[in-house]
Amino acid sequence: MGDQSGAKATRRKLLRSAISAAATLAVAEVGTLLKGATSERRAGAEERLPADNEVLRMHQDLERALRKPVEQRQWVMVIDTRKCIGCNACVVACIAENGLPPGVSYRTVPEVEVGEYPAVKRVFMPTNCQQCDNPPCRKAAPPGAVRKRPDGIVAIDYTKFRSRKAFEAAAKACPYRALYFDDGRYWTQGTPRLQAYETRPHVEYGRRWARMEGQLPIGAGRKCHFCLQRLEAGMLPACVTTCIGRAMYFGDLSDKRSLVADLLRRNPHMQVNANLGTRPRVYYIAEDVQKGCQVCHG
Amino acid sequence: MRGDTLKPKKTNLLMTTRREFLKTSAFLGGSALLLRRIDRAFELLKRAEAGEGSALYELSRPENILRTVCLQCNTGCGIKVKLLQGVAVKIDGNPQSPWTMTPHLPYATSPFDTARIDGAICPKGQAGIQTVYDPYRLRVVLKRAGPRGSNRWRTIPFEQAVDEIVNGGYLFKDVPGEENRYVQGLKEIWALRDAKLAAALATDVAKVQKKEMTVAEFKNKHREHLHLLIDPDHPDLGPKNNQFVFMWGRLKGGRGDLIRRFTQDALGSVNAHGHTTVCQGSLYFTCKAMSEQYVRGEWSGGRKFYWQADTANARFIIFVGASPFEGNYGPPLRSSKITDGMVSGRLKIAVVDPRLSKTATKAWKWVPIRPGTEAALALGMIRWIIENKRYDARYLQNANKAAAKVDGEPTWTNATWLVKIGPDGRPGRFLRAKEVGLSEKDEFVVLRDGKPVAFDPYDEKTPVEGDLLVDTVIEGIRVKSGLQLLYESSRTRTLAAWARLCGVREQDIVELAWEFTNYGKQAAADIHRGVSQHTNGFYNVLAWMSLNLLVGNFDWKGGMIKATTYDIVGGRPPKPFHLGAMDGRLKPFGISIIRHEVKYEESTLFNGYPAKRPWYPLASDIYQEILPSAGDGYPYPIKALFLYMGSPVYSLPAGHTNIEILRDPSKIPLFVACDITVGETSMYADYIFPDLTYLERWEFMGSHPSVAQKVQPIFSPVVSPIPKTVRVFGEEIPLSLEALILGIAEKMKLPGFGKDAFGPGLDLRRPEDLYLRMVANVAAGDAPGEEVPDADPAEVDLFLRSRAHLPKSVFDPDRWRRIVGDRWWPKVIYVLNRGGRFDDYERGYDGEKVRHKYGTLINLYSEKAAEIKNSMTGKPFLGVATYVPIADSLGRPIADEAAGYTLNLITHREIFHTKSRTVADYWLLSVYPENFVVVSRRDAEELGLRDGDLVRITSATNPEGVWPVGDGQKVPMVGKVKVVEGMRPGVVSFSLGNGHWAYGSTDIVVDGKVIKGDPRRRTGVHANAAMRVDPYLKNTCLVDLAGGSAVFYDTRVKLVKVG
Repeated sequence: MGDQSGAKATRRKLLRSAISAAATLAVAEVGTLLKGATSERRAGAEERLPADNEVLRMHQDLERALRKPVEQRQWVMVIDTRKCIGCNACVVACIAENGLPPGVSYRTVPEVEVGEYPAVKRVFMPTNCQQCDNPPCRKAAPPGAVRKRPDGIVAIDYTKFRSRKAFEAAAKACPYRALYFDDGRYWTQGTPRLQAYETRPHVEYGRRWARMEGQLPIGAGRKCHFCLQRLEAGMLPACVTTCIGRAMYFGDLSDKRSLVADLLRRNPHMQVNANLGTRPRVYYIAEDVQKGCQVCHG
Repeated sequence: MRGDTLKPKKTNLLMTTRREFLKTSAFLGGSALLLRRIDRAFELLKRAEAGEGSALYELSRPENILRTVCLQCNTGCGIKVKLLQGVAVKIDGNPQSPWTMTPHLPYATSPFDTARIDGAICPKGQAGIQTVYDPYRLRVVLKRAGPRGSNRWRTIPFEQAVDEIVNGGYLFKDVPGEENRYVQGLKEIWALRDAKLAAALATDVAKVQKKEMTVAEFKNKHREHLHLLIDPDHPDLGPKNNQFVFMWGRLKGGRGDLIRRFTQDALGSVNAHGHTTVCQGSLYFTCKAMSEQYVRGEWSGGRKFYWQADTANARFIIFVGASPFEGNYGPPLRSSKITDGMVSGRLKIAVVDPRLSKTATKAWKWVPIRPGTEAALALGMIRWIIENKRYDARYLQNANKAAAKVDGEPTWTNATWLVKIGPDGRPGRFLRAKEVGLSEKDEFVVLRDGKPVAFDPYDEKTPVEGDLLVDTVIEGIRVKSGLQLLYESSRTRTLAAWARLCGVREQDIVELAWEFTNYGKQAAADIHRGVSQHTNGFYNVLAWMSLNLLVGNFDWKGGMIKATTYDIVGGRPPKPFHLGAMDGRLKPFGISIIRHEVKYEESTLFNGYPAKRPWYPLASDIYQEILPSAGDGYPYPIKALFLYMGSPVYSLPAGHTNIEILRDPSKIPLFVACDITVGETSMYADYIFPDLTYLERWEFMGSHPSVAQKVQPIFSPVVSPIPKTVRVFGEEIPLSLEALILGIAEKMKLPGFGKDAFGPGLDLRRPEDLYLRMVANVAAGDAPGEEVPDADPAEVDLFLRSRAHLPKSVFDPDRWRRIVGDRWWPKVIYVLNRGGRFDDYERGYDGEKVRHKYGTLINLYSEKAAEIKNSMTGKPFLGVATYVPIADSLGRPIADEAAGYTLNLITHREIFHTKSRTVADYWLLSVYPENFVVVSRRDAEELGLRDGDLVRITSATNPEGVWPVGDGQKVPMVGKVKVVEGMRPGVVSFSLGNGHWAYGSTDIVVDGKVIKGDPRRRTGVHANAAMRVDPYLKNTCLVDLAGGSAVFYDTRVKLVKVG
């Protein structure tokens, strides 16, 4: 690329200095917003950015992480159940994003009622694959079917995970009910006409798939993979961006500057079934960890 | 070619774009966001060349994304629709829309840069894919092949259907019983066509109503034209044209203008009616009454609107009968502003609702109120606030604009204005200065330090403040101030008694009142259907809005604010197109079929009290009156009904009463529906014209009260149309509402359509002729200097490439450019590339207030309401917030409890559904397969009911508990019980959107072939038919006589265990 690289480099240098100047401007702009939203605050209120600047911040975190080699990224999800309103947007967004058929739901949001009228609360608990560092599904699945990626995501090789029996063994081993079997159904089967969106190509695990004529992933076990296809395109997982309560957070925990690291530093948090030694990568911030969770988890 | 290859596309175009962006954004101080994205783009390009992830993932490519608006509910969030080979496969929020991100991204941000940033969107929005690609969508026109509602249809060519509708004839001679039924076509109904004559007749009708001319005089003067009237003995009913009725459900701007041009301007009918009273009804019309202004001696100019809290900045909100996490307007727009506020400590919320909604469960306080007593709770708070002097005295003292200005207040009230008290103690009109010799001008009076002072409410020079609580006599006239009347209303009961009436604790009233008055103007009472859809809705709304007046929060950041939109119709500079212009426009006149905005006493039909059916001087769009009035032939029978995107049978309380009327050709001789499928109401039509869904068409969304910024979200076609193409005015367009209207207009040669419809050289031959010009109007802004920039060449190229999959019937760039002209074309592209126009976040605010202010008088006391008589009782309405018990249309209590119907039935919204049209979305059915009859544990125990038990819902007016869908067929209202702690004992509820018996859920026959229904759509229960029918009206639900609300929440039911 000869001479052009020199010119490019200069331009990029100019750009970077413009960025740092502009970055200050951005912070100042955001600072003004912060001031407006929090004048005369209640005592003890957190000093925080308005919520949806958090989306932009997560985008920045993502970009920084993607510039690192894959083994230096440590993806985690942080779910603030105080902000989850049980709408299930995340569940449906995931179905649409990953071309999920009936019977496969990478995410669920179970709900329980706690207390007695009128002292009642409804608790919403978004769940998905926890991308365990010590995944029980890997041991229970056929060799090579499930592998742990260097960035933390637990990935499935559909070609090696295509038997009902194999799926059932792995599903049984998973304490999070994260695995589902794709039995080949369609949403519009039984209606006058099967619709085009059902067989459209979708991307998972670095390649394109299309659920037609019995092709994979039909017949395989499936689960959440933190929307790996979106991450590789520089986007946040679908459940994170669609969340209307802004309860979903995602990022690289090894990055001290990241929002997820920040959140875990500032808030008491917990993990589900941590005592089983699965070492999950999903963290929960909850208002009343004891009461809400005990209903299901004793 | 998009999407076909795994190889990364090395487009020099992208490089060029970045370079140009660098130049302009770096020197013009473009936002840091843009610069960050450019940096990222370099990295991605590098990776794309290496064949990595981003090249594989096509949904993030800018050319695969089109921006429009969601209409899965009426919230209207901005969306990005992501396409693969022209098929919509994913929907996400458009981050430049204030609905999906707070703060939303700057409007100037390029679509290249927002391609990878998704805003929030709720599950319904995600599932819109399945609404478009619903296998049960109609593609061709259907005509019924049997009696109405028999579910037997024939496909019929569009041209033939139009011909039959226009020309009439023995259209159903192959249907047993209708062999000799002659149907009048539109050409006969369009009797009066001369605009000048129409104007002359209208002028004299007004004289007759004002008793300045007798009917006999009228008949004599216009004897040559009496045959054009519905009834010459009642000329105020208007011309025969009024017997054409166009009613609609979910209609937004653009299409609304087209329907009005067709129905009112061209066909000259007054009967263009929407569904407002089934939605928030009295909430709109109470706020209309509160916003009436005193102009030339009359109260006029009241706006049909309401206020909501500035959610992002409020510190305390009481949500009453409102659940923004599930419905309201709406979850993506409001939820994160609330959750973030709660977690950061900015915001505390209380929720007043018989049910523990998803919003209530996050609240500091849940107040499970007895339905129908909402005004009582407000009045209890009002009493406590006034007695503890925790109101904003400075605000309330301002009697006029000048006084408000001195205090920096954008609004003021009539709290201090003196109201005359009649001998019976009833408050009536405001005292006028003339009456006590204070002034010769038409002015009002306050008391100040014991002395009466005259003033003009709009005087900007002389501030006038009044004493707050006044009860005195001036020149022999007993007077009280508005606030005094409110206080007295609140004092009709002790706090303890108010609490008992509401079924809440006295302590709750006090705590709510204390909290509400603890945050200055950053507290708000934000109300919705739970307050308005009762027989006493008008007064409930007035009570809660009065609370907002007590703290003076209107137009303040964190207080009550209103919606503001960019105008689309034009008619004034700088707008390039005047789309209201029309030669030969007929100005419709006469009393409407729903008797709206007219006083019973001023009509020639006046015949003492009660009127045969209610008259609604304070309301309009009274959905529950349209068909029942036609059924009664009162005020007159109708000849033809068009129904657009609406399902009154399904949506209305006691909607089943509409079925027999719709099925009866003598009541509705011609019934044409425009619908995407055969639904619960369109199944009774004579003809169904297929329509486009929101992803295939044009519309202009408007906004909602809690959006502080000025906006205009715009729908444009993003996927190829599903319905077939037809030819109208020589143009190929898809079957749609537009095809229906334009087709008829062409056939009838209606003025205002076709060639030169908007003026010389400005045709209306195809939808874009109207809608693109509206986009240009938006691009121009509302004032000089508000033009959007031109789209740069990269954006123009993107615009064209991203629409390349669309057929010429909906997208033709050369034609589009000709329609708006070269000057506006690049600006139209700029706007459409962003999905509409959205002012930047900060521009919604102006220091501590909002920029777009309501900015004038707000009526604490409504003189207009106090002077209008209830057409059923002959008694005047009340001008101040009052607790009025639930009653039927004659004002009598309803005693169903005595007959064993003891449970109060309400409804609720689950976020998974909007009223009638989301059951086609299987993704939603997968998370919410059916609804339930939600029962409190205490009631369940008493009734011996358990989770999963099947119960039939019955009421005094539906003891069988069925939907009588016609011809003896009955659909039972049976649902599964769900027992919860989170429900006030005595109240049961079901969520709206299930229990279908049409809409693809049952078999229908088309051209002799059975189209099998999908039983997944039949699940659950829809209990609207259990809602009480008014005992006097007999074919209508309970109603709010003042505000017009259709009543959902005042029915008593019995749950009967099944099996």
